[in-house]
Amino acid sequence: MKKVRAMHDEHFVIIGNGPAGNQAALTLRQKVPEARITMISAEHERFYRPHLLPDFVAGTIPENEVYAAALEHYRTHRIKLRLGQRVVAVDFSKRNLLLEHKETVRFSGLILAVGGKPRIPEPLLVFRDLLLTFKTFSDARKWIERLHRVDSVLIVGGDLTSLAVTKALLRLGKEVRFVLNEDAFRPVRCKPEVFQEAAHRLSLQGVKVLEGRKLRSVTRINEDLFEVTADRERFRVGLVGAFFGLVPHVRFLARSGLTIERGVLVDETLNTGFEGVYAAGDCAQVYHTHIRDYWVSIGHDNAVSLGRIAALNLLGEKMKAEPKGETILCDDVRVNTSWWRDF
Amino acid sequence: MKTPGPVLAEQVKRIEDSELFSFRSGRLPIWCPGCGYFGIHAGINAALKQLGIPHHKVVVVSGIGCAGRYPFFSNTYGLHTTHGRSLPVATGVKFANPELTVLAVGGDGDGLGIGGGHLPHASRKDINISYVLFDNSIYGLTKGQPSPSSPAGFKTKVSPSGTVERPLNATLMALSYGASFVARLFAGEPRLIGEILAKGIRHPGFSFLHVYTSCVTFDKQYKTWDHLKEWVHPIPEGHNPSDFRAAMDLVLDDDFATGLIYQRGK
Amino acid sequence: MPKLDITVEVCGMAGDGTIAAGGLINEGMSRGGLSVLAFDSYPAEIRGFGRCVTRSRIGHERRTALEEHTHVLISLNDEQSLSRVPFLTEHSAVFFDNQPPTLVPEESSLAAHVEPATALFGMPFTDLAAQAAGSDRGRNLVALGGFAAVFQVPSELFEPAIVKKFKSKGQKVVESNVRCFQAGVAYALERFSERLWDPVSFPPPKEGPEIVMLSGNTAIAEGALDAGLHLYFGYPITPATPIMEYLAKRLPERGGRLMQMEDEIASIGGVLGGFFAGKRSMTATSGPGFALMTELITHGVMSETPAVIINAQRGGPATGLPTKTEQSDLHAAVFGGPGDSARIVIAPTDVPECYHLTIKSFQLAEKYQIPVIVLTDFFLDNRVESVPLPVAEDDARKDMTVYPDPDAKERYRRFKITESGISPRALPGMEGYIFAATGLEHTEKGLPDYTPENHSKMTEKRYRKLRSALEDLPSPVEHTPRGRVDLGVIGWGSNFGSVHEAVNRACERGLKVGALKLTAIYPYHEDAIRDFMSRCDEILIAELNFEGQLANLVGHLHRKEVLRLNRVTGLPMPPSVIYKKILEILGETDS
Repeated sequence: MKKVRAMHDEHFVIIGNGPAGNQAALTLRQKVPEARITMISAEHERFYRPHLLPDFVAGTIPENEVYAAALEHYRTHRIKLRLGQRVVAVDFSKRNLLLEHKETVRFSGLILAVGGKPRIPEPLLVFRDLLLTFKTFSDARKWIERLHRVDSVLIVGGDLTSLAVTKALLRLGKEVRFVLNEDAFRPVRCKPEVFQEAAHRLSLQGVKVLEGRKLRSVTRINEDLFEVTADRERFRVGLVGAFFGLVPHVRFLARSGLTIERGVLVDETLNTGFEGVYAAGDCAQVYHTHIRDYWVSIGHDNAVSLGRIAALNLLGEKMKAEPKGETILCDDVRVNTSWWRDF
Repeated sequence: MKTPGPVLAEQVKRIEDSELFSFRSGRLPIWCPGCGYFGIHAGINAALKQLGIPHHKVVVVSGIGCAGRYPFFSNTYGLHTTHGRSLPVATGVKFANPELTVLAVGGDGDGLGIGGGHLPHASRKDINISYVLFDNSIYGLTKGQPSPSSPAGFKTKVSPSGTVERPLNATLMALSYGASFVARLFAGEPRLIGEILAKGIRHPGFSFLHVYTSCVTFDKQYKTWDHLKEWVHPIPEGHNPSDFRAAMDLVLDDDFATGLIYQRGK
Repeated sequence: MPKLDITVEVCGMAGDGTIAAGGLINEGMSRGGLSVLAFDSYPAEIRGFGRCVTRSRIGHERRTALEEHTHVLISLNDEQSLSRVPFLTEHSAVFFDNQPPTLVPEESSLAAHVEPATALFGMPFTDLAAQAAGSDRGRNLVALGGFAAVFQVPSELFEPAIVKKFKSKGQKVVESNVRCFQAGVAYALERFSERLWDPVSFPPPKEGPEIVMLSGNTAIAEGALDAGLHLYFGYPITPATPIMEYLAKRLPERGGRLMQMEDEIASIGGVLGGFFAGKRSMTATSGPGFALMTELITHGVMSETPAVIINAQRGGPATGLPTKTEQSDLHAAVFGGPGDSARIVIAPTDVPECYHLTIKSFQLAEKYQIPVIVLTDFFLDNRVESVPLPVAEDDARKDMTVYPDPDAKERYRRFKITESGISPRALPGMEGYIFAATGLEHTEKGLPDYTPENHSKMTEKRYRKLRSALEDLPSPVEHTPRGRVDLGVIGWGSNFGSVHEAVNRACERGLKVGALKLTAIYPYHEDAIRDFMSRCDEILIAELNFEGQLANLVGHLHRKEVLRLNRVTGLPMPPSVIYKKILEILGETDS
């Protein structure tokens, strides 16, 4: 039985306000009633469940049900929650971090749970300003606002979120076109059959799937009208959405000394290599001794699990992170999201 | 009191009938017969008569003490205020109606003790009133305590072994406070008082008249009439009242010279 | 559309332009037709450092009280602003400089201390000011611009206010300040476009009298001037000094005269002398100065000489708390000084009343030949309210003196005993009425007299005068639902504002609570107060002093013991404190 360290002047900082970060904070609090715990998030929003955003856009659930915890929760557990404040640098030797407004915060333990942000593949970067992504609450509200004015939408990419959003758009009676990209189901790589099955199912729902096509150009006619060329087809839509999965939100750590590839590289105990510094959730790339390679977690349950493990290990435990094998049901489309081999 | 009753009554009647007291009310003041205040009163009346100022255009503002009772005796408007405060009240009266002739009167306790904080400012502000200080070096109304101008060694019930403090010199104070008209006078010389006060009233600024007088009832040791008659003498002939240094020298050297000591700008 | 009611604070170090920024907010919002009540606090000592906080309560409804909480905090100095954080409401907004010159440790950081629901708006005040104006002096205006943008307040409300405020410093300064403001607006619109607040809803412009931002002290001074004040004698003392400063310029312009005296005793002396000779005279002081004046005030009572004295109450006793508010001079004002020397005491409750009751004080003093004390307090004196420019009543300058009959000359008795108690008064200079006024007890002719019957009669006469004054004194004003109420709350001075707001809140909740405003403290309208009390089960008297001085004065009129709510924090009593007490008394719980 591992002994929990005595903590009184300890300050545990968690960067990120998603499922991983919130679980980490809660776990720390449950184990160490005395310690000071701070959560810092660049977003202004309190803890919400991102996977419910498509339903919110569809209008099937009200806004307040997307949220996962009331502010009372943080007061009760004495977790200092700092919203809308951005960490811009971390100094592991001095054990402090720097916020955008030039404030320094000392920590004795740090958990990086910054999650990911939408990825735009290189060829499409030039159109970035014309594409809408779908990750945050703020994004969802933008979609709702725009959808009041447009009737047709083009979805490019094809990650898991795109499927849920498509469902929402169909519910709203919008005309949906879909440019499915092969590598768009990232981070999941599916077998071609699954891929075709997905396309088939979408068509059945009334979606016009432009299979395998690449997006050539996007031109803005006006605020709510875009002309799109995909391979040789040209058409007009009111809104273009990009769904290419997430990349970990770790640019601010670039000069910190952490090893970063696609995400923050951590060992199987989620430790970054620096004492007292762990990573959890979508931003972490976890080493797995069996495959002798790294895996990336996706999905809510994985994030929660990693958040908990990171917290326990920060306190002296030595738990190994195991990806959760899951099956996500998405309108008869089964996608296996258990551990996989990347690159 | 040693003087027999009928004699006193006779004295009082003579005072009553005397012409000198036209500026008086129907009532007699509470001053004891022989009090120097009668003389000062005669002088003040003479000044007002000389200047031809109507009674109703005069306001006498007094403090507390025997001198404070002055307004009840003088046939002018009067304002008998609280102890030591005649100067600021007189200032208010004068500012409200500059046409009025405003006199502030009070004793040495009233003016140099509790009221001591007002003399510097009435002087330096040159308020256009005339302040007559009735200095008998004693607190008479409260029956004989030493005052700020009593000499060291002054024996009273409150100071049985004699006072130890040195006296204040009111004339010197007024000069050093910057008063623009300073005179020292004697209650035994009412005519001189009248003459100087008339000048003081006409003087467009603060005029200060320091008048030595005797408290016949309670002071048997210092300012008795005999002593005062002996000590008081006129200011030397050649004295130039517009010379401030000369005035200061005069006052530093001589406590009992009477007349116009200083008048600025004359 | 819910009624707007927000409190905006600017907090900084002395020298940050905090007060200027607060003033511009007041001016701008008032221009837009909103009601403003603002109260600033300054560093206690004169030297250049210390915290400055401006607090402005802004909304659609006129307010006469301040709550403790704040909705918007504009921080010009984070270290100073930390102390204000506990007073922020849950959904508040904080503006701060997000590019300070050096790194800030967590414990000194404003952003580290606010609650998560507080919206933070970090702007580089210093950098933007430097870009717009070449120095960091316009930081406060950059912050103001941020506030205007986020709350969607049209720039047309602030820019003319900026021009007006800095006009005297020259065109260059005006332009540079406007640029700083605009830089703040531009930055905020861009950076915070997704987080803008609901726009402040300004009422439609309406015709009517000019609205001005007026402080209690200024209102008193203006009231005195419009009442024909001729002489002012005063001595500097916080918080009354601004009255003297204001009059120093304006009284001579109107043919009057002002003189700073050597002490408060000289000041009241001058006032009595001035009024004795027939001119309206006034002095203003605070507790310690008032104490010095009491002997002469009783002289005014005895000699039946008018006087007007403003007592701007502050924390006591003795030197007390010069820059804090309190209502602890009631006893002194009514009874201070030797003997049965009760005199007229009135207490305005807001800025317009400061103006009108000052005018009334001259009328009362003159007619009833008695010192009249106007009790104000630090909060009322120093706060500004957006009010219509006050207009004097027609008889403001009217001579209220009761003169003697022309044929009474030879037999004139200055202190003649009459039914009303008022004896016709001659003024020095009037031929045929010569008299002396004295502080000794006196006969009808004014000569000193200590006989038993005389003293009884004269004392009775002087008190009869006070009773006669009741008809000229403002009556108590009730704010009560019809019929019986469970609780009646009485307040006086600026604290009535808090009482009124608390009682309104209770009534909105359906509780049966009434409020009574007393502006005539002495003499008080016994019958009216008793009548109010008879319709209330319980009576609560809320005041900013320890014992309950008004309660001591009028509490006996109730059929049972009155309840007291006393606070001596040096700060105004928040309506919520009174509201909680109301609930407690009625056995209700806070919902």
